[in-house]
Amino acid sequence: MEPKKIHPLIPEAQEMLRKNQITRGEFLRLSTLLGLSVASAKFLAACAQPTPTEVAAPTAVPPTAMTATEAPAVSPTAASQIVRGGTIRAATRVERVDHPARFSLVSQSHPWRHVFDYLTYTDPKGVTSPYLLDKWEVSDDLMTWTLDLKQGIKFNNGKELTADDVVFNFNQWLDKDVGSSIMGSMSYLDKTGVEKKDNYTVILHLKEPSIFVPEHLFHYAACILPKEFGGDITREPIGTGAFTMEEYVPGERCRLKRREDYWRMGEDGKPLPYLDEIIMVQLGEDRTPDIAALQSGQVDAIIEPTVAIWEGVKDDTRYEVLSTPTAATRLLRVRVDQEPWTKNEVRLALKHCHNREKILALALQGQGTIGNDSHVAQAQPEYVDIPPYPFDPAKSKEYLAQAGYPNGLDVELVVVSDWPESMAYAQALKEDAAAGGFNITLKTMPASQFWDGWTEWNMAISWWAHRALAPMVLPLAYTADDTGKPVTWNESRWVDEEFSTLLKEAMKTLDLPKRREIIGKCEQIQKERGSICTPFFVNVWKIYDKKFHGIVPSPEEFAIFHEAWKEA
Amino acid sequence: MARYIIRRLLTMLLTMFLVSILVFAIVEIAPGNVARNILGAYATPEQEKSMQNQLGLDRSPVIRYLSWLLGSDWQASRLVGYPLKVITISEGVVAKYQQWWAVDENGALVQWEIQDGRLYKLIRQSDGKTKAVEDEQAWKVNEEGRKYFWGINNANQAALWMQGEGGVEYRLEYSGWIASTGSPVDYIPLSKGLIRGDMGISLRYKRPVSEIIARRFTNSLILASIAILVSIPLAILLGLLAGLNEGKPLDRIISIGGLVTTASPDFATGIILIMIFALGLKILPGATVFMENNSVLKDPRLLVLPVLTAGLVEIGYVVRMTRASVVEVMNSPYVRTAILKGLSSRQIIFKHVLPNAMMAPITVIMLHVNWFIGGLVVVESVFGYPGLGNLILNAALYKDVYTIEASSMVLILLAVGTQLFADLIYALINPRIRYS
Repeated sequence: MEPKKIHPLIPEAQEMLRKNQITRGEFLRLSTLLGLSVASAKFLAACAQPTPTEVAAPTAVPPTAMTATEAPAVSPTAASQIVRGGTIRAATRVERVDHPARFSLVSQSHPWRHVFDYLTYTDPKGVTSPYLLDKWEVSDDLMTWTLDLKQGIKFNNGKELTADDVVFNFNQWLDKDVGSSIMGSMSYLDKTGVEKKDNYTVILHLKEPSIFVPEHLFHYAACILPKEFGGDITREPIGTGAFTMEEYVPGERCRLKRREDYWRMGEDGKPLPYLDEIIMVQLGEDRTPDIAALQSGQVDAIIEPTVAIWEGVKDDTRYEVLSTPTAATRLLRVRVDQEPWTKNEVRLALKHCHNREKILALALQGQGTIGNDSHVAQAQPEYVDIPPYPFDPAKSKEYLAQAGYPNGLDVELVVVSDWPESMAYAQALKEDAAAGGFNITLKTMPASQFWDGWTEWNMAISWWAHRALAPMVLPLAYTADDTGKPVTWNESRWVDEEFSTLLKEAMKTLDLPKRREIIGKCEQIQKERGSICTPFFVNVWKIYDKKFHGIVPSPEEFAIFHEAWKEA
Repeated sequence: MARYIIRRLLTMLLTMFLVSILVFAIVEIAPGNVARNILGAYATPEQEKSMQNQLGLDRSPVIRYLSWLLGSDWQASRLVGYPLKVITISEGVVAKYQQWWAVDENGALVQWEIQDGRLYKLIRQSDGKTKAVEDEQAWKVNEEGRKYFWGINNANQAALWMQGEGGVEYRLEYSGWIASTGSPVDYIPLSKGLIRGDMGISLRYKRPVSEIIARRFTNSLILASIAILVSIPLAILLGLLAGLNEGKPLDRIISIGGLVTTASPDFATGIILIMIFALGLKILPGATVFMENNSVLKDPRLLVLPVLTAGLVEIGYVVRMTRASVVEVMNSPYVRTAILKGLSSRQIIFKHVLPNAMMAPITVIMLHVNWFIGGLVVVESVFGYPGLGNLILNAALYKDVYTIEASSMVLILLAVGTQLFADLIYALINPRIRYS
């Protein structure tokens, strides 16, 4: 084996860590992205620690995690404690699905991420490590990525996973006719740039440099399918994952059973998972029955709980209730290709109608962070604290008059009735915006109807999941493809030349302070002429019975039960 | 009696026919068309047109009504020139799929598709896979001299292809619009029709409506019948007791109790019951979580609170009805005569009071069955019960037309059916009716 080469940017990053320009977590994320193992990254981080207090941190990490580079150990527990067997029953939504590449709801991935695996894994702290991959290597110019696959991994039909399957998946993700959101996030890659080197190696030749490849491979739509896949996972639930799908009834329930020969080993030296069975149930469109179901012991966990559910169980000592600030949001977006939003004055007017503290209090009981009308959250490392526009109805009227609406404006706002925080936001805005010259009519609908046409509404409050870094979300929704057509998820059709240029720059900037500077400019542009209002970013919760252990926290609200186990 | 029943059955058929027109018309004239409801208000006209075409919505309402009721396969079969056959295949984890095929002269199941502008016939093999054979000679020529072909595609539609020109087919997926070219220019969605048991495909779940309804309806029927079987006899007994003890403390307790349960709306009753029995005493489940299809049969405890919630409203109502009726009969001259004749009170009650006092409550109870099923919407939402009420509510919110239409027809059939049943019982008790 040739001596392992360290990417030249790593020493540079180490230097930044030493100068306190980036945090330890950021360094780990970065150096693992550049192909370093978690153990080595932690070692280098420890070497670069600037203050003695922070040196203490890595020692807290138990040795098991240090060695488990390939299969990240999430909850280091003494192997003797772990109990095998049992069922976890979780209340969630069971969505209609067909092609995983077309997933556009985190909830679609909850059951299926146990049937399929991803090439990489991003832990709750944002550190990405290989998963189905054995390792990756990136060229110095960040243009060529070599992905090495683990050998001997089998699909649940017995077939071995090879580079052909991986190439097939890239081709699906990058196929216009498949319509995957990954096309937007991987705008740096074309089908022609995906090359099979040998049976276990795939090389990606990027069009432009990017450091996010490994993180994008853990996007919830990037499930690895066998190359024979026909387009509907409910017909062919064939993956490399830890469970097999036994029953799937959209809107009601799904049931997954443990697979005996999963490739990852548990702490006790036998294959994961520890649980025998996962059952996910949906109790109708309204999530309120979830509380009674949990408290009377009929389900063990609630996935993606609403604020109302959080309030109902937050003080109950029987349950673990973890609260995490995220970059997830319910943002109001308007179609800039349709009247009246083509004029920026109208958008500015609307931004001045937001009484943010009030909206946050009403929508989330204060359980969130304030936003400044850019899609960058305080929970993301690049966030620059740019204050939002103040609540100023008089200013709003001025802007409306400038735009040619001196007598105010009638608009229709699409709101999802299943999302109480969106409803509360919409109602608060409707009241406050009346003084600012907007007569808002609320058009409510259930989530399912909303999603079936979510990019099409003229003015709507939509739902955005958390993404670890700002440059991971911005290209999804605020850019255009090579032909100038807004990307699939660009629900507002807003494309700004300066913004796109800055964003491209940010996507290849390794240096966090520099990237922060660039993203700060992006924030300013979105605030001043963007197509969205982001009064708040939400906190998320994980709620489960304390009998369960090894459930991974996740700001993305992913439900990951691979290493979950239940006390006897 | 036989003539009476036949007459009633014929009336029932006529009612169902008229109602089917009504249901279809109501869904038809409901604001916004179906394609728009699926696509959202800002879809482009081309996208809307393509969707309408694929759903067959561009055909006249009369044709669509007939297709919905009687099926579209016979029209399609005439255009394709082969008999059509629907087969059910079992694959994967979502129960069963239906597939439409044409049966060619060799008896093989075939579909067609266009690849790179050429027509291919897909012949189904015994293993379920298809073999593609070029079928260029199958093009027919129309009056204008253009080549066309009516075939069956792989999406359960009869499709019209024109050689060398392709419609643009827009499909709306979760992540946005997908346009593909070289697609058929006209479609007929295939269906056997309502009266042949085909309720169409749910726009929301893309599953046969009949399959969804069958499961949901069974669940609702279990809930409703248990609630009725428990609450009605209990209510009649209580009503009788109250009526016989008019003005005494027992009557007061029963009457006021009945008033309280009737006056409390079921959503409030449900939540109070959950708080007491599920969260407080922890002796009953607070939501109906179905871990499998027949959960209620395996764990009947699941049903206790929903049955109680649904039943309580009903009990109060029937109690008061029965009580009033009993009081009235007790004061009638023939009961007084019976008492004066010195009959035992048991004879009086069971021979004279009960049969006569039951007329009004039975009518009300039978009428109430429908009202009761409607009321399940609330109970099912509170407990997350996967029944027909929950389904029809969500379908209405989503404008899932085939599900709304089919569920309505099922509920109406149930209503008309119970009405017929009520009339028969009524006729049995009261001879005057069957001879009129």
